[in-house]
Amino acid sequence: MTRLAALLGVVAGLALGTGTQAATFDLGLVRDFAGAVKDVDEKDEIEIGRELTGRVLGVQPLVNDPELQAYVNSVGRWIASHSERPDLPWRFGVIDHPLVNAFAMPGGYVLITSGLYEILDNEAQLAGVLGHEIGHIVRRHHVSAMQQGKGVALIAKLAQARTGNKSAIVKELIGTGATMITRGLDRSAEDEADQLGVVLAARAGYSPYGLVEVLHKLAARKPDDPGLKILFSTHPQPRERLTSLGEALEPRIAALPAGKEPAIRQVSADVLPASAPAPARGARRKPAAAASETQAQPDNAPAASPRGGRGVGIDPGGIMKGIFGR
Amino acid sequence: MKSSAVLFCALLIAVSLPALAQQAVVAKDSPLRAEANATAPVVANVKQGASGEVTAKSGAFVNLKAPDGAGWLFSFNVNFASTGEGSASSGALGRTYGSKQVQATSTLGARGFDTEDLEKASFNAEQMQLFEQYGVSKEAASERARTTGLEPARVDYFSGSAP
Repeated sequence: MTRLAALLGVVAGLALGTGTQAATFDLGLVRDFAGAVKDVDEKDEIEIGRELTGRVLGVQPLVNDPELQAYVNSVGRWIASHSERPDLPWRFGVIDHPLVNAFAMPGGYVLITSGLYEILDNEAQLAGVLGHEIGHIVRRHHVSAMQQGKGVALIAKLAQARTGNKSAIVKELIGTGATMITRGLDRSAEDEADQLGVVLAARAGYSPYGLVEVLHKLAARKPDDPGLKILFSTHPQPRERLTSLGEALEPRIAALPAGKEPAIRQVSADVLPASAPAPARGARRKPAAAASETQAQPDNAPAASPRGGRGVGIDPGGIMKGIFGR
Repeated sequence: MKSSAVLFCALLIAVSLPALAQQAVVAKDSPLRAEANATAPVVANVKQGASGEVTAKSGAFVNLKAPDGAGWLFSFNVNFASTGEGSASSGALGRTYGSKQVQATSTLGARGFDTEDLEKASFNAEQMQLFEQYGVSKEAASERARTTGLEPARVDYFSGSAP
């Protein structure tokens, strides 16, 4: 049993809840578990986060738009530079999926879905979303959850997977741990990440209210939206988040800068997976006119964002759990 | 031909109409202010549950026209009318927070990103390599922000949220 395997197991356990109670307990494993959790360092965080990110990308590849990916990385890295952990190996990506979702993995890895990207109307809103995810990583919310013992149920998995073969253990645990991606942190962590998202976006020169606007968009959706069921099963309702954030923000409005709302870059190229074979033309592509506008922009400016464009999301309202929550 | 002319006229009318106000409901008893800031004079008060129309936004405020008065309301204190599936941005909020149009398609049956899939997922080394290649340096991000006109600001964390 390596420390990493134990840590990955703990991460996996965050998602397990009551459905995977330990059948047997191994006190040695418990000691490994406790020691591993206590000593989670930055290197561990990065390793765990990288593994989980690779797993997510194994399910949903990146949108095949290098300019978009670079753009999101530029925005995200700029925001992260204003955090207390500017030197993590920050990486940001847009994955090709129509549901609205965003994930933060330990160590500086952030993914948002094309479905989420699609509903954003300006760069300040993107900054708010990324700021929220960065906030989770900066505050090490996942690690804190481990240290609070939320992964104890994973001990059973650890026991089952204890083969002495690290890769086998990791495979077993990460396979289970992938559910972490679809499970939320507790309410206080989400509220805190919302506040950090506002502050980090503002520090980076954006309007502080981008995240607020996105939450309003989500709150305005019908409760019976099929995607909302999953969102609401793992995260506070957007309305509740707005209320909490509003209470924290109201006394501080005067101190917040106005910030800017630059245009957001639209997806300008094929959205099929980067590793996929040549796409079937016409499938989920931007109209040629929109692509032309994109190409006409200077390198440092976002592509035009013509309202009314179809974009890549086939359903921006399909909201999986984890929206802004991971 | 006649039908084409009718359609053309209808389109002209549609295009020339001003943006309609958005329906909203006040979420808690709140003051309406003369300007979009927390210290501006209060011009009216609205009760929780009151309906109105939001016509504009400015920072943390939206401009509300309600039966009891009109003015700037703290945006957290309003609920926008529910929208249909797939219209998070194109419906009620489109005119205030952006009008990006999106296709409304049911998510039911969407595959590729649920817990079951993730449990079975394998590490995708090729995609991970791409993901890491797309990263940018702090310096490059800073330069891009500068050319975009973003100006860093000193903003303290809220009490209780400081790392």
